[in-house]
Amino acid sequence: MMRVKLDDTLLLQVEKPAKYIGNEWNMVKKDPESVEVRFAFAFPDDYEIGMSHLGMKILYHILNRREDTYCERVFAPWVDMERLMREKGLPLYTLETYTPISEFDIIGFTLQYEMSYTNILNMLDLGGVPVLAKDRNRSHPFVCAGGPCAVNPEPLADFIDFFVIGEGEEVIHEIIDAYKDWKGSGQDRNAFLELVAGIEGVYVPSMYEIVYYDDGTIMDIMPKSGKVPDTVRKRIVTDLDSADFPDDIIVPYIGTVHDRIMLELFRGCIRGCRFCQAGFIYRPVRERSPEKLNELARSSVEKTGYDEISLVSLSTSDYSALPEFCDNLLEFSEKERVNLSLPSLRVDNFSLGLMERASKVRKSGLTFAPEAGTQRLRDVINKGITDEDLKSSVQLAVAGGWNSVKLYFMIGLPTETMQDVEGIADLGFSLIESCRGIADKHGGRGLNITLSTSNFVPKPFTPFQWEPMDSIEVLREKQYHLKDLIRKRTRRIRYQYHDPEISHMEAVLSRGDRRLGRVIHTVWKLGARFDGWDEHFSFERWQQAFEENGLNSSFYANRRRDFSEVLPWDHIDTGVNKGFLVRECQKAYEGDLTRNCANGCSNCGASVYQAGICFRKDKNNSQGG
Amino acid sequence: MARALRFRFSRDERLKYLAHLDVLRLFERALKRSGLPVSYTQGFNPRQKIVFGLPMALGLTSSAEYADIEFDEDITPETFISRLNQALPDGIEVLDAVPLLKKGSIMSQITSAKYEVSFDVPQIMDPDEINGIVISFMDNEDITVMKKGKSGSKPVNIRPLIYSLSARKADGDGYVLDAFVSAGAENNLRPDLLMKALSQKTGLDLSVGSIHRRAMYASTFNEWKDPFEVAND
Repeated sequence: MMRVKLDDTLLLQVEKPAKYIGNEWNMVKKDPESVEVRFAFAFPDDYEIGMSHLGMKILYHILNRREDTYCERVFAPWVDMERLMREKGLPLYTLETYTPISEFDIIGFTLQYEMSYTNILNMLDLGGVPVLAKDRNRSHPFVCAGGPCAVNPEPLADFIDFFVIGEGEEVIHEIIDAYKDWKGSGQDRNAFLELVAGIEGVYVPSMYEIVYYDDGTIMDIMPKSGKVPDTVRKRIVTDLDSADFPDDIIVPYIGTVHDRIMLELFRGCIRGCRFCQAGFIYRPVRERSPEKLNELARSSVEKTGYDEISLVSLSTSDYSALPEFCDNLLEFSEKERVNLSLPSLRVDNFSLGLMERASKVRKSGLTFAPEAGTQRLRDVINKGITDEDLKSSVQLAVAGGWNSVKLYFMIGLPTETMQDVEGIADLGFSLIESCRGIADKHGGRGLNITLSTSNFVPKPFTPFQWEPMDSIEVLREKQYHLKDLIRKRTRRIRYQYHDPEISHMEAVLSRGDRRLGRVIHTVWKLGARFDGWDEHFSFERWQQAFEENGLNSSFYANRRRDFSEVLPWDHIDTGVNKGFLVRECQKAYEGDLTRNCANGCSNCGASVYQAGICFRKDKNNSQGG
Repeated sequence: MARALRFRFSRDERLKYLAHLDVLRLFERALKRSGLPVSYTQGFNPRQKIVFGLPMALGLTSSAEYADIEFDEDITPETFISRLNQALPDGIEVLDAVPLLKKGSIMSQITSAKYEVSFDVPQIMDPDEINGIVISFMDNEDITVMKKGKSGSKPVNIRPLIYSLSARKADGDGYVLDAFVSAGAENNLRPDLLMKALSQKTGLDLSVGSIHRRAMYASTFNEWKDPFEVAND
């Protein structure tokens, strides 16, 4: 077994060398010789991002509970480290044992963000693993991938041996068991892929044939043999309380993006905002019990020494037992001097009480996500909040002593006009106005607002999956217009916006088909990596890669699809019906709202999983039960 | 038994890639894991009452780091050492602790430190020859170098900050510079700056390897004292 030797000539030359040494508190130590399966969990971005990711912590914990398996971690080395590693001929290694990733049985990438795709190729290459799946033989690891972006696996089909669709906690065990069977059998590589293709939730792209029309749209997606299913259904964990959740998480030495304990309240979201992929692909909503969460909070603090807990979910205020749970948790956290952060609190049922109690521990900036500037457009996206909701929430916040508020919006939403864009600035102005007297009365300074716009990217499995994205030029025009409006009116509002070129590429990759593999391969060879980082992203490089492969990025980003078109991800089944998404899209055009799951079922299809809110007895559901 | 302790700890190769703030955070979390009754400051953002003697630069190993810590309850040095060490990762270890009867501030007491800096030169040289060069370097009355501060670089004469300097052959390859220099809140001389000055003034083409801190001292009435000795001064 080879171990990479690290020394000062490498580590003292790079920024934050502690990213590359492992050995953090709670890192799992095993003898690699004593296990049957070595699994490298790969996060295709920087350590500081990857170590903030809850999914990795969960699967690391679950895999390492198995005596027959050793799960180790690997991240994309930052550019300075990569340069030196290539100079010195050092292969990419795992942090646990400094073993090159090429020596592992399985490498599993998590797909959190489309712009990290080029890092996957780069990591495989740096690890001495052939980048293309077809070039790997029995001596190479299997490369798999999962995570939210895997719901459209096609752009990565050339590089990944198999995808895991949905939640990994249970299916990962079936995969490891299958691997052990296969390893003992002496059969060829393909035999293993056939074996896992039979596991629900596993998709083996090489076993499907994609047929295209001349115009580049898809005619058909066909299994190459009877051994693989026509559609692959995502996996979920039906009962979160019985699912293993880690309390002994690794405590990094250096500061990471989310450097704290993360308590996952629930999965899924009742709201059904029409732009939000997470709101559809994580259905149905399943909660963890307050008892279990309180137990996890206490044991996590004890085992990690962290002094901060963050409640994690898509919408904290929708947790059904929030008041009781917070009472109990705050009692503990105040006694133990643990800070509690409550992100994703919705504007409409934001409670002053909870805010006040949480602020006993720490008063940080507040964020709200109205998403659109006018009521009309908020109705289009099914964001059921009003200007009044927002105004009263912000007034409460200012009265409570907060004086900086951040508001998140999207530009480029379907049906958006310049009037809707201007509505973003108007909303900011009216909030400043409405809070003018309040701050004085409470002895505070006036309200400062940050308006942040991201560029709407249509995503698979949302009602907007057929929508064209705004062109880069139109997005720029909207951004500049908004910037101008704000600058002329007030200094109390800061405006932040995102690079539309990166968003354009994100849109291409998120709804891309299998032919994009060639583009990704080319752009990586041209030097692309860390594309999600402004300083490393090059739009010109991507354009060149598209040209070299005779493809057009606008075909993917800016084209309106017909409801009848075969989409590249039509053979993936997330439980939510395509028919439901069509209905939601049509309702969006009419500005019709859809009730949330807590108020009643809208028949999206996720009840097939027979879990969570679809079957909660106390709710007035027309479905399930 | 005491409400406050002064302790000495070491950091070896395994954790030398941590920056100073990372070390502070590491202790904070280790103390929390240890369950020791550490005192916290009052106020909106309570902090543990722990003060470190000198910051630890990234890359530095040490066998003589010091810190003062306060507790809400009386505690013996032995209990403290064993419980904290159980909660510390491999690579940092508490070696020793003494009761602190009154609130001192280790940070303001430390005034000097001893370092061992390993280095090499491109051509093989007699260690005595190198030591001769080092001694003649010390003969300069003025050794002015550019020192980076918060508001850009400015020239500083570091000669008064160097108390003694000598070179010898290392156990393995290369050489070791033994340096006794001014340290602390005022007039801190970082060993990397010293090596840069040595290289510039003598023309020796130095490649600096590991830097190890092996002692730090408090001074009282022109006498260098071990920080434990002055714990209750």
